[in-house]
Amino acid sequence: MTKYILRRVIQAIPLLLLITVLCFLLISLAPYDAIDAMTTPKMSPELVNMIREKYGYNSPIYVRYWRWLVGLLNGNFGYSIVNGTSIYNDLVSRIPNTIRLVLPSYVTAYMLAIVLGLIAGANKGKVLDRIIDSFASVSLSVPTFWVAMLLIYIFGYRLRVLPILGMRTVGVNTLTDYLRHFILPYAVLTFAFLPGNIRYVRSSTITELSKDYVMVQRAFGASNREILFSHVCKNVLLPIITRLGMALPALVTGAVITESVFGWPGVGPYFVKAVQGMDYPIIMVILVLSSTLVILGNLLSDVLYCIVDPRIRGEEA
Amino acid sequence: MKRGFLKQILALTLAVALTGSFVGCSGKDPVVENASAVEGAVTETDADKANTFTYAISGDPGESTNVITSSSRWDLSTIKLIYSPLFMFNADGINWFLATDYETEDNLTYTFHLRDDVTWSDGEPFTADDVVFTYTEMEKEENLGWAYSQLVYEQGTVAIEKVDDYTVSFTFPFVTPTAVEMLSQIFIMPEHIYKDVEDYEHNEYNLNSVGTGPFQAVEYVPGSYVKFRRNESYFLGTPAIENLVFRIIENSDTAILALESGEVDAYQAIPSEVDKIDLEANNLETYSYSEGRVGYLMVNAKNVPDQKVRQAIFFALNKDDLNKASYLSEEFYLTPYTFLPPSSRFYSEEVEKYEQNVEQSKKLLEEAGVTDLTLKLGYSGSDTAQSAWALLIQQQLAEVGITVELDAADSTALSAQMHDSENDYDLYFGGYIMGIDPDTFSSLFESGAAYNYMYYDYPEIDELFAAGRAETDEAAREEIYKELQAKIQDVATFYPITSNNKILVVNKRIQGIEDATLVPVYTFEDTSYLKIEE
Repeated sequence: MTKYILRRVIQAIPLLLLITVLCFLLISLAPYDAIDAMTTPKMSPELVNMIREKYGYNSPIYVRYWRWLVGLLNGNFGYSIVNGTSIYNDLVSRIPNTIRLVLPSYVTAYMLAIVLGLIAGANKGKVLDRIIDSFASVSLSVPTFWVAMLLIYIFGYRLRVLPILGMRTVGVNTLTDYLRHFILPYAVLTFAFLPGNIRYVRSSTITELSKDYVMVQRAFGASNREILFSHVCKNVLLPIITRLGMALPALVTGAVITESVFGWPGVGPYFVKAVQGMDYPIIMVILVLSSTLVILGNLLSDVLYCIVDPRIRGEEA
Repeated sequence: MKRGFLKQILALTLAVALTGSFVGCSGKDPVVENASAVEGAVTETDADKANTFTYAISGDPGESTNVITSSSRWDLSTIKLIYSPLFMFNADGINWFLATDYETEDNLTYTFHLRDDVTWSDGEPFTADDVVFTYTEMEKEENLGWAYSQLVYEQGTVAIEKVDDYTVSFTFPFVTPTAVEMLSQIFIMPEHIYKDVEDYEHNEYNLNSVGTGPFQAVEYVPGSYVKFRRNESYFLGTPAIENLVFRIIENSDTAILALESGEVDAYQAIPSEVDKIDLEANNLETYSYSEGRVGYLMVNAKNVPDQKVRQAIFFALNKDDLNKASYLSEEFYLTPYTFLPPSSRFYSEEVEKYEQNVEQSKKLLEEAGVTDLTLKLGYSGSDTAQSAWALLIQQQLAEVGITVELDAADSTALSAQMHDSENDYDLYFGGYIMGIDPDTFSSLFESGAAYNYMYYDYPEIDELFAAGRAETDEAAREEIYKELQAKIQDVATFYPITSNNKILVVNKRIQGIEDATLVPVYTFEDTSYLKIEE
């Protein structure tokens, strides 16, 4: 098993490199760069040129890429071009904020989805299924920023029971204050993660229910409940586990829009701002981070799958 | 077996859930408070709220904010709170801070007298050494200071000299009418703190520094807010407001709701946003002030070389309609007729105004022998004002038989395109906020200048700029710039559309806005005049 994991990790390295090369290339292909975004007619062309030189824009792209890569490998995330802050410090303060928001939402959505999906799948075509399924369809098509604005409008503006902005009231460090800020974005994100998972559970429940072993159980006279929770459930949960691993990158980039709307000081607003300003050192670090998590997430899915499914484990061994 | 499997799943899910809630809770880790401390904090907040002014800002100043390299709006606003300049140079004249007056005999050497009653917030006295230190650092090439090109010229560098502890002189390498303006808006940093700093962006002093401004930064949470406390020893008098918070809100809809709910006290809005806000019901007030901005339509003379055609284009346009479409009410804009903002001392309306005249336009097109003209117009798709203009101009030009092809672009991508002399646009929108003196506009209008996107070649314009630069007599300069404005209008490559105001929406509990004075970029000239009245 350890060998397998190690092999997968090593295999991922060229893929990661390829991703960084592609990202770097695409950013350089953009019709403008971060310096253009900063230049004003008040700066003399000499000054603009000096700034360009400072950030290495005058050297060819492969030199810049190499410099960036060497820096990254030495643990140097670099500095933002637009406002000069250390990207490492920025991320260290922002990623925990994002995780703290995304993880509870995802777990809630995940558990709710298992329950709702199983119920819907088991009652395929009945009223309960229709309700759950149409809820999933509707929430899948509703953009999160709209839900967020709606909640802000109702709870923050009309009823004035919850704060609208940020993670904390300035200068207040209490749990209640944090939770009051947390609840709206948490609700929005849970709502955003829910429908995809419901549909997944529902469809795999339906597939499982049509399998032979269910018919055998029925023939043995097992009750629906027994079939659903002792037999179908465990088979349904298998593919669901893969979704767990694939959700890993969401911990960094899973709430970009929600965070921006609520002014939550996570990775989202930071990333959006960097993309707007073509602040490539920031874009690159976040892309490397999230693509690493995608690869690791897939690996995690496979490993989890191995652990819980004896059939696959048998083949590996 | 069955049990074992389900147990595994359960354990796994539980583990994840627990980590989730654990992370959720540990969020507040820096404080593990007991109940009484929590109560204490709540009462303190209420008291805090009563003497805190919260301003919604749309960008994160960041810990790299410093007086040398920072040049963005919110960085500069932060600096304006912490530090003081010698003086500010605004459209209505000089506003003195650390200096009290200046004198010059030869228009080369300018001697400034400094206040002798100022101390840094750590108690050290402020002296001429700090001034010399700041300006010298600004002139160093390796520091890439924002004012570098105001102090270092091809002809030489401005020489800075300490005359005595409270007198400093600046010597320009040549006579220039913009000298005083070029020395303004530079904030003085403490030599005793920064003397060994090599990298102004990355050091331990920024944002927790010692200053001479009305406030001091006390807390910065990246992406959330910067909190300031008043500087009790501020030399123009202790500010009335105890705390000032810059709340970072990048989403404008959220900012407006926060303003309406009272979570923030002030926000810079655009007219369409003001239109949506119920000011009365939310105890809000608007203040509109000029930043000396000019929003324009430019013609790329390289692609439209015929002056008659360009004049025909201008005669087909209706400026009022354009402004009303994007700025709704006349209190939010002024209508300019030349390249200078109407707030400029040198602004003149003795020029061709190109009032809409469809017949004239058609006649000019006929004279030029042009039919079936198609023009490509570039504009920023995310700019609501420009998008509205684009559609209107397409309509207005259609009336004289000109087809306009609209090309919405990202604003930076567009300006990068404009910078390329081979670009294929015929028309583009843009806007600028330049200096106070008309000479600061030369980088946009002289033939071949770095930011002249009209790509014309008119030596007469360059000569007038040169004449204005060389002249020191005020009245003579006025004449020169009057002629220059008329000339630029005549060549018809530049069509000023608007000089739109900034609009500050403020909660009525914040008073003293007029005394604090609204100014370009920094919002307030002196925050120490703001008051809170519940």
